[in-house]
This record gives sequence, structure tokens and C-alpha cells, in this order.
Amino acid sequence: MKKLVSLILTITAALALAVPAMAADTIKVGVPLAMTGAYTDTGDNYWKGIKIAIDEINASGGLLGKQLEPVRFDTQEFAPERVMQGADYLCGKMKVDSVHAGWAGWGQDVRAYGKYTAPFFADDGSQSAVDVFNQDPKKYSNIYQLTDTDINQASSMFRVLMALPYEYPNKKVAIITADDAWGTGVGETLAKNFKKEGWKVALHEEVPYGTREWGPILTRIRKAKPAIIHLEIVSAQEVITFFRQFMESPTKSILSYGYSIVPREVVQTMGTEADGIIGEVPTAMPTPIAPTPEAQAWVENFKKIWGHQPQAGSWAAYSGVKAWAAAVEAVGDAKDHAAVCKYISTKGYKGETGWWKWDESNVMRAGGDVPIGHYQVQGGELVTIFTDPPVKPYKDFKFQTPRWCK
Amino acid sequence: MGGLMAIIYGGLAIMPLFVGGVDYMMHILIMILIWAVVASCWDLIMGFAGIFSFGQVAFFVIGAYASAIVSNKFGIPPFFSIFIAGGIAAILGVLVGLPCLRLKGAYVALVTFAVHMILEPFLKGHMGRAIGTGGSRGILTIPPINIFGYAFTPDNKVAVFYLTLVLAVICSVIILMVIRSFWGTAFLALKDSEDFSASLGVSAFKYKLAVFALTSFLTGMVGGFYAHYVGMLSTRMLGIDLFVTLMIMLVIGGIGQFPGAILGAIVTVTLNEMLSPLGPYRPLILGGLVVVLVLLLPDGVIGLLRRIFGGKRKTREAEA
Repeated sequence: MKKLVSLILTITAALALAVPAMAADTIKVGVPLAMTGAYTDTGDNYWKGIKIAIDEINASGGLLGKQLEPVRFDTQEFAPERVMQGADYLCGKMKVDSVHAGWAGWGQDVRAYGKYTAPFFADDGSQSAVDVFNQDPKKYSNIYQLTDTDINQASSMFRVLMALPYEYPNKKVAIITADDAWGTGVGETLAKNFKKEGWKVALHEEVPYGTREWGPILTRIRKAKPAIIHLEIVSAQEVITFFRQFMESPTKSILSYGYSIVPREVVQTMGTEADGIIGEVPTAMPTPIAPTPEAQAWVENFKKIWGHQPQAGSWAAYSGVKAWAAAVEAVGDAKDHAAVCKYISTKGYKGETGWWKWDESNVMRAGGDVPIGHYQVQGGELVTIFTDPPVKPYKDFKFQTPRWCK
Repeated sequence: MGGLMAIIYGGLAIMPLFVGGVDYMMHILIMILIWAVVASCWDLIMGFAGIFSFGQVAFFVIGAYASAIVSNKFGIPPFFSIFIAGGIAAILGVLVGLPCLRLKGAYVALVTFAVHMILEPFLKGHMGRAIGTGGSRGILTIPPINIFGYAFTPDNKVAVFYLTLVLAVICSVIILMVIRSFWGTAFLALKDSEDFSASLGVSAFKYKLAVFALTSFLTGMVGGFYAHYVGMLSTRMLGIDLFVTLMIMLVIGGIGQFPGAILGAIVTVTLNEMLSPLGPYRPLILGGLVVVLVLLLPDGVIGLLRRIFGGKRKTREAEA
């Protein structure tokens, strides 16, 4: 019996000691990101931006004289209890003074972190997250979205597709999306917009992550010969296999990858083979030449540290940390969460490309100094060809007709 | 069995005295209790009845969605909707169990895992949306359980913990009673030799179907409870992570070694949390630990305890 009691006490002690002790003279910053599971790559993108911001602040003497201390939490695959656990751990137990996430639960995160006061920055890009916020804006006043919603991003994709300096051979589109909240949201909005413009949606398929065999879908595409194929699955293997199987017998279709262009592996694996594919990034840092000298310096610094161009999410997450830090500097107290949130909501933040202003739903709407960037792969790298809204060609970079459409 | 179960739940019951003020720890304890019931149900059907059912996570998710939809759409109080959810899961459990009666071993695993595989596209698709699953977005507003005007919300985790404890104890006692009853003996007989037990008058049809119904009911009910506790649902629960974690609970606790599954839940959830800061190394270390444990402790933690205390008892008997 004694041994059993000691076993239970050991487990109890292990539970209590599960979290390492933290230094007291630092400001803790919560970072709930996917470190394992299907979303590891996107989690890594956000972490790269967050780490640069924290390192920069610490190197310049810290925030209010204190060093920032990141406290990471593995959100895994965003199961509801895991999202809640992250909030309870970071805000409840670790008492962090801000939380910087990326994809964070598409609405579940608003509920989980909304019961605490620490400013929470997410990159959900999801109308459902905004809907939850709007149910009780006062309660969720600490929740900030770093990008516009799926609906607005899809509308932006549509506007740019219609603005391309290219004569479509017909008015048929094929839409293939992942069967998650992001994919279905984008797919439905695109289909609605195309139909409104008199286009025919020749194919609209939702597929699960992990789809690698595209034969049946490509057969239908080859039969329909759509002028545009939009693929929205934010995972490198799926979009690479689609492209390679499509290229075995390509139709004269503009390949629009939307946000699926962002996994770094897409251009890294395919290089110039991917030339011609187009895609979009919300809260974008336009590349290869940034819009301002400060932004260009940021891009160069990112490349120096990580060895490649910034991916989607890195700059958004970086800016979230900086916006919070600027507010804390102004308020003079990282613990005064209400004042920090009020400052962010009312004053915004001056970043590398200009001003960040959140709307009444605490969403960083696309436009102004922080537009949606639309890219084309050219020379094996992502090149910004348009920004939106409003649709504007970016610098001297031009759309190039893909080789399979000539 | 009963004594050990009482000690385990007794130990858990006093935990809020030490960590009651820490929401994060209370959440872990609540999840331990929820997974303990799911793992115990899985142990009953797989470890005792010898049916290789891989549908336990699916029944959990069915219960969760059923309770959320019933309470949201029809305004039925969650206290009752979790029982309705259990009933729905039980009916589906029987429907899945019927074709399984004609199958054995790996084929049962395939059929039941197919339920798991089908569930996600169903919940996300048009049919799911039509019944109120919210499609890919899930259900983001689920009312908490309310008893005599007291709402068991995630904001008051100690209260939720004790409610979960009551539910877990009731479910565990039911499982224990079944194992100790004629039914439990029948399960073991069917597992060891179906032909021989049939010759003694044990009906495989009746008992196998009964175990499907019972474990699906309890798992579905706990799934419903989970839905009202977390207040939101998504199909991300059907990811492979939870499935594997539950299986690890069974292996660590000892398959067919009730109440080993409860101990397995405690150890696995604790280990998972302790290893969480290691990020990508967590599944690696957890996997390695499972391999070592399976090799060293084929009967799980319960087997180890039995060896320790059984060995001591034998020594005492020899000394006497």
C-alpha cells in the first residue's frame, strides 16, 4: 500500500513540476503554435517572425527594461480541449502578458483566450472567428486578428484573377479546396463571385489533406478545359503533386494557388518548375523588393537569419509582437492589459510598411499600408505582381503568361 | 479491482486541494477523468470481450456532436442531452456491431475504423451541415451543463472536476460490475474460445452486441459531457493524435487489466504534458517509452503493481 501511495504522490509531484520555473524579472510572452502534427510548417513560419521580434526587443535593452521571455505551447492540431488548455496554461498558469499565435483555432481561440485579459494576436483569417468576437466585443476586446477574413481574401483573389492582363479562352473555372474551414470558406466565396460574373463553375471539389493522387479530378479538368483552376490546400505535398500530375497533360488554365502558395517547400522543391503559378498572401510583405526602405531592411534581415525570403505569417506575427511592445512602452505597464489593449485599438501601430489599424472587430483589414499581396512564381521565387485592395500592379513586376498557356 | 479503483479516484478527488486554483492543472485532471472513461470502455470491448474495435474515438465524437446538436437545436437541457447522446451512440454502436458479429480479429478493426474514417467527411459535408454540425467550422457555441441553476462552465473548473469525477466513478463502477458479473465471465469465455463457450450456451450474438451497446453508450455520454465542458467542437478530435494517445493509455495501463486504463490515462496525460515543451520530440519520446514499456511491462502498470504486491503477499505467505 505504501508503494502505491508513493506512486500517486510521485505522479502528483510530476504534475506540479510539469512546468519549469521561470525567472521573475522578465515579461512573459505566450506563443501557442503547432509544434507537432499537420500544421507544424505554418507554426514554424509564425515562430520565425515572433523570434526575430523578441530577439530584437531583447537586444535593444528589453521592454521597459525587462527581457522578453517566450513561453511556447504546442497546440498540436487544435482540438478544442487543446486550445482551451493552451489558454489556461499560458494566461492562467504562466501569467503571460501577451499571446502571439498564428493559426489558432478559427474561433475556438477567441473563446479560450477571451476569458483572460492578456492581448492575444491570431492569424485565423476566418469569418467564424470574427463572428464569435462580434457576439460579445467587450468580453473579447483583447483578441486581435492579424489578417483579414477568408471571405475577403477570396474576394481579393477573384478581383486579381479578373484583373490579370490575360485573355481567358472561356468562362469556366475549376475550384478545388481542402475540406477545412479555410478551404471551404475560400471555395464558396470564389464560386459565388465567379457565378455572379457569368462564369461557369465546371468543378467544385473539397478534398481532405493528404490527397496525393489527382487522376480522377484531373480527368474531369482535362474534359472541361477550364480557363482557371483554383487550388486551396495549404500543404506543400498536395499542391506539388497536383502541379506535377497536371503538367503531364496540361490544359490552358491559369493555375491559381491562393494561400496554398505559401508553404516554403512549394518554391523550394519546384524552383523554376513552378514558374507561372499565382497565389496570395494577406498582411503581406511584398517581395522581392519591399515597398519601403524599412521594409526592405526587414526582408534582408529575415533572409540573413533564416536563409530564405519571408513566408506568409512571419511578418504578420512579427508585427503583432511589435504592436504589442509599442503599446506597452506607451502605457508603461505590461500588466495593465486593459490599457494596452485600448492603446492598440485606438492608436494602432506604425510598422515597416506604414500604419496598422484594427477595425471595430479588432481585425486587421486588408488595404492601405498593409494590403493583400498577390504573387507569381517567376525564376523559382515569389514575386509580387499586384496588391489589393484596390487592385494595383506592384512596382514594375509584371504577370507572365504561364508556359502551358502559350 | 474495486479497492484500487477507489484509491485512484480517492487520490484524484483530493487533487483540487493542491491545484484547485490553477485552471491549467484542473483542466488536465478533468481530461484525465474523461479519457479514463473512454479508455476503460475501449478496454472492456477490446481487453475483456476480445473485440478489436477501433471505433471508440468515433463514438466519443458522435456523442459530443449529438449532445451539442440536441441541446442547441431542440433546447433540451445538457444534463439530459448527454444521456440522449449516449443513446444515439449506443444505437449506432449496435448498428456497427451487427456486421462485426460475422467478422473476426483484424476485420472487426477495419470495419470499426471505417466508422472513424467516414465520420469526418460526414460531419464536414452537406449532410453534417444539414443536421447542425457546422461543417468544417464546427460548433462554436454549446451551453454548459446546468444543475438546479448552477452552470458548470470552464470558468469554474473545480466544480466541473467534481461533476466529471462523479460521472467517471459511475461509469467505472458500471464497467466493474459488468466485468465481475456473469457478463464479464461470458466476455472472457467468448474471447478465449468462442466455439467452446457457445457449446456451454453463451450467446456470442447477445453478449457481443451488448458490449457494443454498453461501451458506445458510456463513451457517447462522456463525449456529450466533453462538448458541454469545452463549449465548442470541431472534427479535429478525429485526428490521429487522440486515437494514438488513447491506445497508449490502454497499453500503459494494461489491456484487459481493469482499472489499468484509468492508471494509463493518468500516466499518459501526465507524460504528454510533461513532454509538451519538447515540441517535436514529444511524440518521439512518448513512442519510445511505449516500446520500452511494452517490452518490460507487457501487462502494463497494473501488471507491475500486481507483481510488486503479489510478490510481497507470496513472501508473507511463505514466511507464515
